[in-house]
Amino acid sequence: MTDPVPAVTITGITKRFGDVTAVDDIDLEIGDGEFFALLGPSGCGKTTTLRMIAGLDFPTMGSLQIFGDEVGTLPPNKRPVNTVFQAYALFPHMNVADNVAFGLKMQKVERAERDRRVAEAVGLVQLGGMESRRPNQLSGGQQQRVALARALVNRPKVLLLDEPLGALDLKLRQEMQLELKALQREVGITFVFVTHDQEEALTMSDRIAVMHEGRLLQVGTPEEIYQRPANRFVADFIGRTNLLEATVASSEEVVLSNGMRVAAASEHPTGTKVAVSLRPEQAFLYRRGAAPAGWPTIDGVLREVTYVGNALVHTVAVDWITIEVRTPYRSTETTPEVGDEVSVSWEPGGVTVVGD
Amino acid sequence: MTLAEVPPEVTTAGAATPEFERAAAKAESRRGFLLAGPAYLYLLIFFAIPLGIVFAYSFANRNRFGEAVFTDAGFDAYRRLAAPIVRDILFRSLWLALLTTAICLVIGYPFSYYLTTRSSKVRNILLVFVMIPFWSNFLVRNYAWRVILGKDGVISRITDFLGLGELEILFTPSAVVLGLVYGFLPFMILPLYASIERIEMSLIEAGRDLYASGWQSFRRILFPLSRPGVIAGSILVFVPSLGAYVTPEILGGAKTTLLGSYIVTQFLTARNWPVGASLSFVLMAVMLVATIVYFRAGGRNL
Amino acid sequence: MSVIARGPLPGGRVPRVRQRAGRWSPTRAALGVNAWFVYAFFYAPIALLVVFSFSADRNVGRWGGFTLGWYEDFIRNESVQDAIWVSVRVALLSTVISVVLGTLAALAIERFRFRGRQTFDALLYLPIIIPDVTMAVMMLLFFSEFFDLLNLLFDADLRKGFASITVSHIAFNISFVSVVVRARLAGMDRRLEEAAMDLYASRWKAFRHVTLPQIAPGVAGGALLALTLSLDDVVVTQFAAGPGATTLPVYVFGLIRRGVTPLINSVSVVMLVASIGLVILSLFVQRSRSGSAAGPQGVPAANRARRST
Repeated sequence: MTDPVPAVTITGITKRFGDVTAVDDIDLEIGDGEFFALLGPSGCGKTTTLRMIAGLDFPTMGSLQIFGDEVGTLPPNKRPVNTVFQAYALFPHMNVADNVAFGLKMQKVERAERDRRVAEAVGLVQLGGMESRRPNQLSGGQQQRVALARALVNRPKVLLLDEPLGALDLKLRQEMQLELKALQREVGITFVFVTHDQEEALTMSDRIAVMHEGRLLQVGTPEEIYQRPANRFVADFIGRTNLLEATVASSEEVVLSNGMRVAAASEHPTGTKVAVSLRPEQAFLYRRGAAPAGWPTIDGVLREVTYVGNALVHTVAVDWITIEVRTPYRSTETTPEVGDEVSVSWEPGGVTVVGD
Repeated sequence: MTLAEVPPEVTTAGAATPEFERAAAKAESRRGFLLAGPAYLYLLIFFAIPLGIVFAYSFANRNRFGEAVFTDAGFDAYRRLAAPIVRDILFRSLWLALLTTAICLVIGYPFSYYLTTRSSKVRNILLVFVMIPFWSNFLVRNYAWRVILGKDGVISRITDFLGLGELEILFTPSAVVLGLVYGFLPFMILPLYASIERIEMSLIEAGRDLYASGWQSFRRILFPLSRPGVIAGSILVFVPSLGAYVTPEILGGAKTTLLGSYIVTQFLTARNWPVGASLSFVLMAVMLVATIVYFRAGGRNL
Repeated sequence: MSVIARGPLPGGRVPRVRQRAGRWSPTRAALGVNAWFVYAFFYAPIALLVVFSFSADRNVGRWGGFTLGWYEDFIRNESVQDAIWVSVRVALLSTVISVVLGTLAALAIERFRFRGRQTFDALLYLPIIIPDVTMAVMMLLFFSEFFDLLNLLFDADLRKGFASITVSHIAFNISFVSVVVRARLAGMDRRLEEAAMDLYASRWKAFRHVTLPQIAPGVAGGALLALTLSLDDVVVTQFAAGPGATTLPVYVFGLIRRGVTPLINSVSVVMLVASIGLVILSLFVQRSRSGSAAGPQGVPAANRARRST
């Protein structure tokens, strides 16, 4: 028995456009059957990475394998991957059926087989009956499905999706998130998708790679990334958080900038400037002095309360910064009011130390 | 997984290297060059070289037989452009071109504004009817005036009937201007229309709201905002009017020689190639400058 | 680039209907009168020309009863027939060649970076902005020098005529075609080509099945423009043509300069009908394709202006 071969193996990939390094020495393995997200702000290199896997850009350096086969220098039409493009790039002069059949025609799949597979793919994305429509006669969501069918009909080893839901409105986007996930389970192939929307990445993917300025900052499951961000950028980019400046005192303890000692494990050498990430939902709000004994506590004044449906977001001004605290909303409870003196507290170990 | 199913050994042959990337970029560049090649070559041979020949001739001299020769080549031909006869022709051409431009602007501006006040359906039809003369045969459209303006033509009989006597403007500068306006009015209307159409009507309403009279709101709001269209339209009319050849030949008389005809004469009858060549270069320079102004004025977007 | 570029509606936007207060004002009335005056000015001369082409009077501007005689003259006149034949052949041949070269050039400029690209770009624009007369002079000098040289070197007997006319028409048409096709290519989503390649199309197949159908209206528009310009040209042709052959516009121009005759009326009407037919065809091509279209209207007015002095 050997280890299963990863669907995509990226080793030391770098891409430069002139003087600009778009992707900087990335190593990445994407497992067979994974729903994998490349996440980052615009310009972070995630789309370039996807395009290199597709073959639309050649890497400047490095190795790129698909199921163990080196493909880094192959043109896109020689790679066993297909792409769902941003804004879909459906061929406007062809109807739905011809769009879907395009890849098969190019591969010279014979007529009967082609028709069968096109019908199957169109059925898979629930577009039966729409075959003779032109792309401009379809809604955004329908176009998205055509783009999916057009790629999946070729049975790619890896499906690449570039901001697949970016062009849809919020409600449709949430529906499609679930649908895409279900589709991936059904066809069982590896999906690699690019997004700048951290919520989308957290909801949909098995694993996420966070990129920033061409570098890979962290790869992990949504939970790992959310709970144990590798550094300040990831902590800040994924979800909302309070970053409290601190200095490492020992492997078990850090000192906040107000001199308070807080128990938090870190691997940074003593004296390193770090930040403590306190998630709003892991912070608790108490009236001054009512915090549980033994919990780290910072005193402050409540500045603002925002009602966000299922929760209340409290903004608390402490000595040197403001801290956001999120508490579930219950109409029966009385909560502190703006101007009240309060304490922000958290369970020991409820914070994460993040370096730069 | 059995041993036989183990994927083939990874080969590094396909891994990307800077050399490969450079080679790919080079191949891409070569493809582009090959695509451009035929047209490039064609324009080099049949455009750039002829242009070079004209340029060379503009510095040539004439021998005793009037043939262009390259001994003692210099700026002689350019100096001769200052001669009274050439200067008169230059000024006359400039004057008629300016007059044509002004008339086109005065007629074209209200017309373009009128178009923008129509409903979109009507406007489309009206525009098509500007487009048709714009694209129909220029020579024939000039000739039509020859028929109308001629002796016993429709115009002179109307003026005669009105007791104004027979109007004889054929073969005069007036006829040339009339023909030029007729030919180039659409060039004024279309960019003007494009620039007036994109002005927010609410701006003019705001002006009226702020107590501007109709004239004031035109002068202070509408006209300044449509300036790119005015500039573009004026250049599009002025430049071809300046180099016009067909119109003055058909409608103008012997006394109204213009730049275009003069250049042609230098080659076909006077056989003074250096002067003709230098004059065509001057004309081209004017055209180039005007084109740059046109693009600066936003002509590309009009 | 688009006065005209996106067809009757610049910018392709949905035009706003201007508010029209219903009340009468002298300014409004004057605007309306001016508009009708402009249309009368555009169409009356053309209409009169058509009317007089059926007039029996030998004086071209006088009505002398209905006749088709001048059209019979036109059909019987061998010089005219020859000139038409030359015109049509020159127009078709120069259109075909310039459409191919111009489209390739547009593709190269819009889709590739290559050495000499900027020089090529400038060279491609020059024939559009250069004055007619200058271009004519260029062709005259070039063909006299070039043919002399070839005749001397190869003891040949090259003369100006059909070939030199066609060569000069291609020289300006390449540029016009490429401008129109470029506008279309620039408006096309490049991802469509990438999508085709991603779906196993080779470069050629991506071009054949995706790019070409997308730019087809631009190519058709460029072709119609090239035809129109070729059939319209007087000055360049006059200088590029030798005694060997002449086109219809040059022949008619020569006739007009010698003195007007009713024959010119009938020939002119035929030319007019042909050119208006082309306009209507191009408007039709433009309408029949949804999305941004580039008919002959895809060329800035400057381009057209340059070819009609």
